[in-house]
Amino acid sequence: MRRSIKVRLVAMFALAALLIFSLIGSALYGVLQRELARHQHDELNTRFLDTQYMIQHNGDPARWPRVQAKLDTLTPADGSFRYWVLSDDPRFQYGKDLADIERIDRNPDGMGNLTLRGREYPLHTLTKALPAFEQRPAVRLIVAVDAAPYMHTLHAFMSALVGLSLLGVFLVMLLGYWIALVGLRPLKQLSSAAQSLGPRTLSQRLQIAPLPGELSDLTGAFNGVLERMEGAYNQLEAFNADVAHELRTPLANLIGETQVALSRQRTAPQFEEVLQSNLEELERLRSIINDMLFLARADQGEAATSLVRTLIAQEINKTVEFFEFVLDESKMTVKVAGDIDAEASIETSLFKRAMSNLLHNAIQHSIPGAAIVVTITQQPAAIGIAVSNPGQPIAENHLPRLFDRFYRVDAARNDKDQSQLHGHGLGLAIVKAIAKMHGGGVFADSVAGVTTIGFSIPATTVAAQ
Amino acid sequence: MKILIVEDELKTADYLCKGLTEQGCAVDVAHDGVDGQHLALQHDYDVIVLDVMLPGVDGFSVLHALREIKQTPVIMLTARDRVEDRIKGLQGGADDYLVKPFSFLELLARLQALTRRGRALEPAQLRIADLQIDLISRKAYRANVRIDLTAKEFSLLAVLARRQGEILSKTAIAELVWDMNFDSNTNVVEVAIKRLRAKIDAPFSLKLLHTIRGMGYVLEPREPREAPHHESIE
Repeated sequence: MRRSIKVRLVAMFALAALLIFSLIGSALYGVLQRELARHQHDELNTRFLDTQYMIQHNGDPARWPRVQAKLDTLTPADGSFRYWVLSDDPRFQYGKDLADIERIDRNPDGMGNLTLRGREYPLHTLTKALPAFEQRPAVRLIVAVDAAPYMHTLHAFMSALVGLSLLGVFLVMLLGYWIALVGLRPLKQLSSAAQSLGPRTLSQRLQIAPLPGELSDLTGAFNGVLERMEGAYNQLEAFNADVAHELRTPLANLIGETQVALSRQRTAPQFEEVLQSNLEELERLRSIINDMLFLARADQGEAATSLVRTLIAQEINKTVEFFEFVLDESKMTVKVAGDIDAEASIETSLFKRAMSNLLHNAIQHSIPGAAIVVTITQQPAAIGIAVSNPGQPIAENHLPRLFDRFYRVDAARNDKDQSQLHGHGLGLAIVKAIAKMHGGGVFADSVAGVTTIGFSIPATTVAAQ
Repeated sequence: MKILIVEDELKTADYLCKGLTEQGCAVDVAHDGVDGQHLALQHDYDVIVLDVMLPGVDGFSVLHALREIKQTPVIMLTARDRVEDRIKGLQGGADDYLVKPFSFLELLARLQALTRRGRALEPAQLRIADLQIDLISRKAYRANVRIDLTAKEFSLLAVLARRQGEILSKTAIAELVWDMNFDSNTNVVEVAIKRLRAKIDAPFSLKLLHTIRGMGYVLEPREPREAPHHESIE
């Protein structure tokens, strides 16, 4: 399971706090340790100087007990300071546990450590040689200070530091939790707003205004997705309704005619008549389904294959030739104009299909005797093929939707005769699909009583995905 | 002609069997891939109609097993119209490929095309009753009188005459005459047939160019109200 942002934030806060406290703690500990060591050093030096003079100027064995007495009084009862005087002459010695003294590990500056039996902490020592004086040979004076109080201080400090740091980390975690809680509140609001978007309320959008800047991008993107989904959903619903409608008419005819035929005794020619009529309806169904499958394949991103570099005008002329008889009959003419030398990589059968649909559309919407013009426009990136025919103006809002499946400008033109005359309303959708399969697009225009519908094909590229 | 149909959909298998038998073919039917493969390997068929989606062994596997041994022409049938399926079928050695829903006429035409391959060249002259067509000089005569036809009208007549007695669908005519190989949903073929009929049939009592409603057109000598006539493939 993924951890929540809150937990992650708290953990990160805790880690950061722990790191900072540790750094500061160890720095403080180091400073304290150094200060304490310096303090001990000073202490030892002071003690040393206090006694040095007295010993230095005592060279008489008879006066030595005074030194010993003085040192006895200087030595506190708790043993926090100790003195030793080492000498080759047993008359000029001082101190207990003399046997242990030799175990001092000494540094060149005279400082050293001495661990006596039965003591937890070592003694810090200062050893210096004093020159001979009168009868006294050269002696070594050792001053020792007990490290225990310093060590206790350090330990107490350390414990306090660790304890306080842990408490601090804990407080930071609490604070971090609260910060995360407050900081993530807009996210929570957003998610509850998103949750409240029901499947039935496709038009609902998330409010951007109260959100912080970081989230408004996300919300904008999310709203964009919602918008596209709403569009796709509406289109799908309309499409489903259209499909049902388009299929229902031939199906109703099939069922009705068959039922009527079977409800009485009929002769063979009568049945033949019914079968023929049924076959017409079935062919219509087949044609709708095939075209819809074609569109579905194009929607799934199927691209045109077997592209061949072809003279566009040549394929247009072939398609115009296909309509030769129909044009002749309605006294219409088709002129191919523009950049007739334009070449493009096309799948010729698809191209002719698109061209045929466009020409058929133009013929259906023109009055007898009309002049249809096919214009080829060579542009740097694309080649446009536009079919223009004089016809009724089409309102601006209908133009982009002409390429929608089953879309009809005049909703009333849905009855059977009209739909047979005009095909089943997928012709221009197929033009769009074919343009897309080649990586091109479609366009429509209606100006001054001339309707222009066309598509474009990339001038150079291979088919788009 | 001996044909094997491998198709698990009973209605489809039934009507294909009936239709092809009436065309004078000897038809065997298998309802699954195992039977189909067995029959295809055991007997020598002129052509095999093979469905892709079959219980037991699928069509591609049957085709694969068959191609190890034989080169019998195979037409694959499929409900799925995907380029990769088509490529898979054709690479596997299928000779042709039909997507459901297909028309029976189209299947007939494809079967004929497959079995016609490698036959002798067609004659230079065709004759239907008193209609005479010279394919080389591209001229047509009826009762020895020259009929004035445009180039496309002659092409249409030639296409129909080459397949006299055979019903040609509008789609097939559009493809053969204008090289438009898609359902065009236009009335181009109707108009063209009307014009051709006006020239070759109108002045004569014996009609040659007939409309078979819902199916297409046929060129043959027959009385107008006669029941649809079926010509053998062979």
